[in-house]
Amino acid sequence: MTKETAISIQQLSKSYQESGQQHAIFSNLEMQVARGEFIVLLGRSGSGKSTFLNLISGIDPPDSGKVLINGTDITGLSEHKRTLFRRHHIGFVFQSFNLIPTLTVAENLLLPLELIKRVTRQDHQHVGQLLEKLNLADRLNTYPDRLSGGEQQRIAIARALIHDPDVILADEPTGNLDLDTAEQVLELLDILVRKAGKTMIMATHSPEVIGKADRVFSVRNKALHAHEFDS
Amino acid sequence: MRMNSILNRASRNFLWQHPWQLVLAIVGIALGVAVVIAIDLAMESSLKSFNQAGKAFSGSATHRIVAGDGGLDERLYTRLRVEQGIANLSPVVSGTVKLMQPQQETFSLIGIDPFIEKSLHSGWQNEQKEKFPRELLNRLMTEPNSVLLSEKTAQRLHLQVNGQLKVVTERGPQSLTIIGLLPGNNAISDQVLARLLITDIATAQEVLGAYGGLSSIEVMIDKDTPEALAAIQKVLPGYAMLVSIDSQADSMREMTDAFSINLKALGLLSLLVGMFLIYNTMTFLVMQRRRLIGTLRLLGVTRQQVFKLIIGEAFLLAIVGTIVGIALGIVLGQGLLYLISGTINALYFRIDAASLMVTPLQIAKGVALGIGATLLAVLPPAFEATRLSAVKVLARSQLESGSRRLIKTVGSMSFVLILGGLSLAYFSGNSINFGLASVFLVLFGFGLLTPVVTLAFMNLIERVFGRFLGILGRLPARMVAAEISRTGLAIAALMIAVSATIGMDLMIGSFRQTVAQWLHSSLPADLYVSLSGEKMTAGKAQSDHRLKDKLAGLNGVEMLSTALHTKVSVNGKLTKISVYELNDKFRQGFIFKHQVNDDVWMRFDNERTVMITEPYAYHHGVKPGQQVFLKTDQGELAFDVIAIYGDYNGDQGHLAMSRQNYQRYWPDLGYSGIGVYAKAGADLKQLENRVGELLTAHQAVKSNQDIYKASMEVFEQTFTITETLRWLSAAIAFVGVFSALMALQFERTRQLGILRAIGITSMQLTVLIVSETGLMGLVAGLLAVPVGFLVAYILIFVVYQRSFGWTMAFYSDSGVLYQGVALAFIAALFAGVFPALKMAQTKPAEALRTE
Ligand SMILES: Nc1ncnc2c1ncn2[C@@H]1O[C@H](COP(=O)(O)OP(=O)(O)OP(=O)(O)O)[C@@H](O)[C@H]1O
Ligand SMILES: [Mg+2]
Repeated sequence: MTKETAISIQQLSKSYQESGQQHAIFSNLEMQVARGEFIVLLGRSGSGKSTFLNLISGIDPPDSGKVLINGTDITGLSEHKRTLFRRHHIGFVFQSFNLIPTLTVAENLLLPLELIKRVTRQDHQHVGQLLEKLNLADRLNTYPDRLSGGEQQRIAIARALIHDPDVILADEPTGNLDLDTAEQVLELLDILVRKAGKTMIMATHSPEVIGKADRVFSVRNKALHAHEFDS
Repeated sequence: MRMNSILNRASRNFLWQHPWQLVLAIVGIALGVAVVIAIDLAMESSLKSFNQAGKAFSGSATHRIVAGDGGLDERLYTRLRVEQGIANLSPVVSGTVKLMQPQQETFSLIGIDPFIEKSLHSGWQNEQKEKFPRELLNRLMTEPNSVLLSEKTAQRLHLQVNGQLKVVTERGPQSLTIIGLLPGNNAISDQVLARLLITDIATAQEVLGAYGGLSSIEVMIDKDTPEALAAIQKVLPGYAMLVSIDSQADSMREMTDAFSINLKALGLLSLLVGMFLIYNTMTFLVMQRRRLIGTLRLLGVTRQQVFKLIIGEAFLLAIVGTIVGIALGIVLGQGLLYLISGTINALYFRIDAASLMVTPLQIAKGVALGIGATLLAVLPPAFEATRLSAVKVLARSQLESGSRRLIKTVGSMSFVLILGGLSLAYFSGNSINFGLASVFLVLFGFGLLTPVVTLAFMNLIERVFGRFLGILGRLPARMVAAEISRTGLAIAALMIAVSATIGMDLMIGSFRQTVAQWLHSSLPADLYVSLSGEKMTAGKAQSDHRLKDKLAGLNGVEMLSTALHTKVSVNGKLTKISVYELNDKFRQGFIFKHQVNDDVWMRFDNERTVMITEPYAYHHGVKPGQQVFLKTDQGELAFDVIAIYGDYNGDQGHLAMSRQNYQRYWPDLGYSGIGVYAKAGADLKQLENRVGELLTAHQAVKSNQDIYKASMEVFEQTFTITETLRWLSAAIAFVGVFSALMALQFERTRQLGILRAIGITSMQLTVLIVSETGLMGLVAGLLAVPVGFLVAYILIFVVYQRSFGWTMAFYSDSGVLYQGVALAFIAALFAGVFPALKMAQTKPAEALRTE
């Protein structure tokens, strides 16, 4: 691996307390992700995909081990610092209800920018252009609940990218969509993320993605297993 | 069957998973029920204790011969009995004595004739005829200063049979011998018995100094012999009256009716706010489960089953809440009892209510109220639940756009309610109930208008401040508007509670100002000597006159005025009358409620005239130029009503008459008070001391400032109960808003989780939520000000005037307004802090896991 390392996971362990019992999800995970890499996570429901993404983003703290993003050990940061870090460096796409229902499409897109800087006229223009690319230019001032699921996911992807983060984490972004729409959304993700040279980890159930990924892992037995694929 | 039990389990599990919502719902029901129950219990107990005290010595009497404060001449009894041959009479001498030790408790001393006809035996005698040895009654008659008292009291005060009981009366300290104890019985409650000392006529007369006098004569008249009534009427002197026992009890109720209705309205307000809490919780529980309910419907659960499920849950909550509420109500009632009997003492008549009397009927009322109110509040969410289907599990926002339409409709409906309320206030004649109903309509109407106003206000905020605020800054207003069906309701509840508070504050403030002005003008003398005491006491009149002469002769005294407060029969009703010897200064102190002629004072002094107070004019519909009929020693005579004047001393109203007039028609009872006017430049402190030297232990001299202060204290005391209840309903509203905010934030856990994922810190989230609730409080406060004004207006000019007959000026107080806005704002902020912190502390990973 010659490229620069974007995400480095070392000795990462996570378990949940449930009705008094310790229930391990991961133990001693190791993983390196290079900048610009597109990683796909497979695994059956409940295997720990979401948990894994949450550990990387610092939304969920691990029991032990380290997560380094661009060399910063986020597990060593305070909750507050982690939040600030997330603001700058990470973009999210969830399965559904990604958008803030009380903000318009444009506002949803501008919110991550506003968190890190003064929003300028250029930013507004940028949002306009982005929506144009998504074919949603006329929905600038619409509230999310008026949009279809696919449209919402496209906006969510745009929002994850708008503030130019280093890492995109997507948790079943097409889980709620029909096949065609899912196809479109994935296409969009691929184009936008690749073109921008971002690192992305996506948890998914849809095998179509596999072809687009650089590497595929499946989460099984508290560990990540690299997939060898033929195509 | 199986389906049902699984359904119920699903419902129960869900409730257990939301313990705080559960607790808040129960608190809501409990507080509402508690306040209503407490008021009812305290009010009824106060009145009952009075009735029972009467029964303790009236036996099965049907009528009672009573007199003004002067009492009856005991020769009347002899005349009725011997000359008229009327049987079934029982003379009574009663008064109050104070125990010397400990704590100077007050007791009613009641002197009776133990050997009268059995039918007139007192309650306590009837119950224990076997147990009660005749020998004891003999001793009561033959041994001087012998008394009976209740076993419980004896126990409590560590007194024994044959022991001495030291009491103080007008005539100084005296010693009574306890010759027997009265066991508790069913006829009179322990509370009443605990305050009684029973003795014979002679002892009572001696102890109270009422030689030759009687307080009343109890009469039992067969329905078949109405001629006996006429026979009694014929020989009654002018100062005495024959009244039926029932009508006396009725008139007591009537007297306190207005007071009681007003209190109950306050209780109702608490219950209404409590209902909001229940509604809120049940809506939350339904909304949270819309997926579950949708799934159940898909599985074949019918609408009726869903409906029953929700109603069943509410029923369980209602039962628990009601039980807690009744228990709480009894505790609270005990506290209110003192406040209520204090007010009744100050405004109406003397009662000593010691403890709460709880009847099954009152408990049943509480149960019906708690369960009824809960079921009523739960109907809307229960219907909502039946409309949920699995196919179309509605997103919150879709529901919201539906409710927005509803809110607009409701908003326009609110105008109908408000206008209806105002016209009800205007056109409902003298009805207190309708007056209060109009307050409720107006409050409710504005409550319905609140969501619309809120939307407009949030819109305005965004328009005006939006561009400076940034997106995050716009969120609080957006969030309030987005979930208007929940936020609007919380704001409405807060607004109603705060405007009711502002309304009552303004009303009490106006009243206070009015009373203060009246007191200032009606206390023209520098010093007031009070000659309180039993007017029955022999020789009182003479000694009063001697005192007056001595006062007039004091150095530094310019002039005097006198007042005698007593009762006479006016239009067949025993009515308070103030008899005045006035001077010019005093005359100027009268505030007439209409234009009067110059000769009014001349006519007052010299012609057969009276003036009436405003409440009297109101309650009896009497106007100047009309006549009232007063029973005098020379028979019933017509007196011209020449003026109506302002008076805030009691709400039953009374008459004023010149002393010259009074002396012509009634026996001399001395004075109740003498006003002393100092010469210009005289040293008031010195004069007060010199006056003090002339007085006996039961007379007192006070400066006009002292009286002013004491009167204002009484005023404040009569409103303690109102203030207390007002704060109680505000507290319930607070719990309601708190629970609504909790539910609201809980429902948007996921959304808050997304915000956290995007990079909003927990601090920012706290600020966001607190700003949202602050905004809600602000709207509630801003709206509460005009509504509070309107409520105050209706209270002053409609409800209170109809209740008590007082007119007062409206004094607006800007302080009250700021306080109102601040109150709503701070209450909402406060209620928002906990949910905000809770949400900020929720781990984002957990938050994202929901929904
Ligand atoms: N807060 C928690 N407490 C207890 N257990 C938890 C908690 N969060 C996650 N788990 C458990 O951890 C395991 C992994 O959950 P996770 O959501 O990461 O799975 P997933 O692979 O994303 O599943 P899916 O494909 O269904 O989204 C599950 O068994 C889940 O029950
Ligand atoms: Mg998952």
